[in-house]
Amino acid sequence: MAIATPPSPAAAETMERLERMWQSRPGVLGWLTTTDHKRIGLLYFWTTLVLFGAGGIEALLIRTQLIAPNQDLVSPSTYDELFTLHGMTMIFFFIIPMTTGAFGNYLLPLMIGARDMAFPRMNALSYWIFLASAIFLYTSLFMGMAPNAGWFDYVPLANRQFNPGSNIDFYCLGIIFNSIASMLTAGQFIVTMFKSRAPGMSFNRMPLFCWAQLAAAFGLLFALPALSADTIFLFLDRNVGTHFFDPSRGGETLLWQHLFWIFGHPEVYILIVPAFGIATSIIPAFTQRRLVAFPLVAIAEILVVFIGFGVWAHHMFATGLPTITLVFFAAATALVVIPSTIQVFAWCMSFVLGLARFKTPLLFIAGFIFMFVTGGLTGIMFIAIPFDQQVTDTYFVVAHFHYIIFGAAVFPIFGGMYYWFPKVTGKLYFELPGQISFWVLFAGTNLLFFPMHIVGLLGMPRRVYTYPDGIGWTAYNLAETIGGYLTLVGILLLLGNLVVSFFRGEPAGPDPWHGPTLEWTISSPPPEYNFAVVPKVTSPYPNWDAADREADRRHLDAGLLVLQRGHEQPAVTPVDARFAEIVEMPHESPWPIVLAFTLSLVFVMLVIHKYGAAGIMGVLCLLALLGWHSKEPQES
Amino acid sequence: MTDYAAVASQPVSKPAAWWGMIILIAAEATLFGAFVGTYYYLRFNTVAWPPDGIPRPDVVVPLILLGVLVLSSVPMQIASRAARAGRLARTRLSLVVALVLQSGYFAYEVHDFRDQLHRFDITRDAYTSIYYTLLGADHGHVLLGILFNFWLLWKLARGLTTYRVNAVQAVTWYWHAVNVLTVVVIGTLLSARA
Repeated sequence: MAIATPPSPAAAETMERLERMWQSRPGVLGWLTTTDHKRIGLLYFWTTLVLFGAGGIEALLIRTQLIAPNQDLVSPSTYDELFTLHGMTMIFFFIIPMTTGAFGNYLLPLMIGARDMAFPRMNALSYWIFLASAIFLYTSLFMGMAPNAGWFDYVPLANRQFNPGSNIDFYCLGIIFNSIASMLTAGQFIVTMFKSRAPGMSFNRMPLFCWAQLAAAFGLLFALPALSADTIFLFLDRNVGTHFFDPSRGGETLLWQHLFWIFGHPEVYILIVPAFGIATSIIPAFTQRRLVAFPLVAIAEILVVFIGFGVWAHHMFATGLPTITLVFFAAATALVVIPSTIQVFAWCMSFVLGLARFKTPLLFIAGFIFMFVTGGLTGIMFIAIPFDQQVTDTYFVVAHFHYIIFGAAVFPIFGGMYYWFPKVTGKLYFELPGQISFWVLFAGTNLLFFPMHIVGLLGMPRRVYTYPDGIGWTAYNLAETIGGYLTLVGILLLLGNLVVSFFRGEPAGPDPWHGPTLEWTISSPPPEYNFAVVPKVTSPYPNWDAADREADRRHLDAGLLVLQRGHEQPAVTPVDARFAEIVEMPHESPWPIVLAFTLSLVFVMLVIHKYGAAGIMGVLCLLALLGWHSKEPQES
Repeated sequence: MTDYAAVASQPVSKPAAWWGMIILIAAEATLFGAFVGTYYYLRFNTVAWPPDGIPRPDVVVPLILLGVLVLSSVPMQIASRAARAGRLARTRLSLVVALVLQSGYFAYEVHDFRDQLHRFDITRDAYTSIYYTLLGADHGHVLLGILFNFWLLWKLARGLTTYRVNAVQAVTWYWHAVNVLTVVVIGTLLSARA
C-alpha cells in the first residue's frame, strides 16, 4: 500500500511541489553542503566501507605473518602498529560509524516517519569530523608513527618513557577527535527519537531497530566521556609532564585500565546492540509475523547496555584486584546473560512461529544468532575467575570477542546491506550469489576464529609477532589464515553482488519484502522529502496496517497533513508522541564542513605540539560557530 | 521581529534545542564524573593528601567566589523567563547582570590559578595533576558560558525571535549545569582539608 505511485493528479502535483522544494544543490557542492540524513548516511557508508577495507588488510597482514612459524613478512614494530590499527579501525572507524552513522542515519527518520534528523546540520558536522578523524589517524601510518600499544593502549607501555615517538599522541588525539563525532551522533539520535517521531508513534509503537539505536546512543553518551578523560590524562602525562599514571609520584597505572574499561565494556554492547536492531528488523520481514515479546525485547536492548556499565573490571581479573571486587564483577557479568537470552529466545521463537523464508538477509541473521550464542557461551566461561586468569591475553579471548564482534555485529551489518539494498538503490540483488556469499562467509569466519579457541587453550598469547615450530600451534594457525582469506572471498562476493545488482538488478519496487516498518511505505530510493504526508501510526508495524496506509493516501489526495510551506516537519511530545509544533528544518549549510576543517587544524597543531597555534585554531572554530548561527531558520 | 505576541505563545512541549542542551549537560557531567572519580581514586591510593609541601586549599575566598557564581543563576533564570514572555529589555538587563557576576568570578579565578601555579607546579605529582586539570576544565566551561552570553546579547541587539528565545533558554540551562559542576569541583578540591 505504498505511496510510490501518486493516487491522483492532485497528489501528483503535491509530490512534485515537495520534490522541487526539497531538491539538493546538484553536483559535488550538493554533497559537501548537504544536511539530508540519507546523503549523510550514504557518505558514512562509503567512508566506513573504505575503512573496513583498511582494517581488513591489516588483519590479513597479521594472519599472513602468522601463517607459519618464524615468518618475517613484517617487522615486529610494524606488526605492533598493524594489530593496534586493526582494533581501533574496526571498532571506532567501522562498526560504530557503520551501525549508527550509516544504518542509523539513513533509516531512523524513515522508520519514525520523519523528514530529517532533529539537528540536520549537526548531523553533517558529525560526518565531516568523523572523516577528518579517520584521515588524521591514517596519516600517522604513512608517517610511520601509527599507534602501537594495542587498541586498549595500556600504560606504562604507552608512557613517553617507553614510547617516545608521536604514535600514542596520535592515539589519544585520534580517539578524542573520533569521540566528538560519535557524541554528536548519539545526542542527535536521542533527540530525534524523542522529538521527531510521527505523531501517534508513542514509545510502545517505536520499531525495535529504533529502540536498539536509542540504547546504543545512550551507551555512547555515557561511556565515551570516560575514554576522553583517560586519553586527556595520558596526553597530559606524555606532553605536559603530569603524573596521573606514574606510581613514583602518587599516580596509578591501573587508573588507565579502570577508565578505559568503564568505557570499553559498554562499548562492546554499543557495537552489538544496533546489530540486534538490524536483526529485529529483518526477522519480522522474513517470517511475516510480529516479533515475539516486543516489550521484553525493547527492555532487553536497553538493559544490556545498562548492565554493561557495571561489569568493566571483568577485563581486569588478572591485575591483582581484591577478590571481593572480582566476585562482584563476575556476578554483575553473569546478569548480562538474562537480557541477552531473552532476545535470543525471542528471535528463535519468531523463526519457529512465523513462516521463515531463508533469503540472504535472514540467513545472515541465522548465522549471527549461531555466532552470538557461541561467543556468548565462551563469554560465560570468563565469569569463572580462575579460568579467566588462565586464558587472559591468549587467543581464547581473541576467539571469544571475534565471535561477538564479527559474528554478532558484522553479520547483521551484512544482512542489513542485503535487506535494505532494494530500498536504497531501487534494485533487487541477486539471490543465489547472495546465499553463496553467506555460506562462504560463514565457513570462512568459523574456520578463521574457531581454531583460535584451541590454540588459545594451548597457551598461544595474543599479539605475539611470531611463534616457534613444534609446539602444536602450526596447523591451527594455518587453518586460521586460510579461513581469513576465505572470509575475504566471501566479502568480495557480497560486495561484487551488490555492485553488479546496482547496475543490472531488477527494479525492486517500493516494498519487495512486505517489510513491517515505514521505510517500505515510500518509493525506492526514497524521495528527498521522505514522506509526502505525515504518516498515521497505530502499531510498531505500520506498513502492515492497511487501513492506516489507506488513510495516508486519502490525506495526500485531499492535501491534508502535507506540510509544504517550507522544509517543515512536525515535532511531538517525547513519550506519547502527541503533536506539539511544526518546525522548520535547515536543508543545506556550508558551515558543518568548515567547522570540521577548523577543528582538524586544532588537532593537527596539538599533535605537533604547537599549543599556541592550536589555541588560535580554536578561535577559528568559534568564528565558524558564529557563522553557523548567523542565519536563523525562517519563522513558521 | 516585532511581533512579541507570537513569541510569547507557549509550546506544549520542550523544543529540540532544550533536549540538545540536556544531552550536552549529561555528557559534560559524565566527563566531570570521570575527573572527580579520578581525584578520589588517586586520593585513596596515596598516604598524604595533599602531599607534604603543598599547602591545603584555601576555604574562605573560594567559597565566597563560588557564591557569586552560583548567584548568577538567578539573573540567568530571570532572563530565560523574560525572553519567553517577550520582554526584550528585561532579558538584556538580566543577561548583563549575570555577565558581570560571571566575569568577575572568572577574572579572579584566572588570577588565582596563575598565582597557585607559581607556588606548586602541575608537574609536581599526581595531586597537582588532578587538581589543576579539574580546576582548569571547570574554568574552561565558565569561559565558554561567558562567550555564550556575549553572543546572546549580540543576537538580542536585533530583537527577539523564537530561535533566540530557545537560545536564551538553552544557555540558561548550560549555566545552571556549570554552576552545579563548579560546586562539585570546588567541593571535591576542598575535601583535601578533611
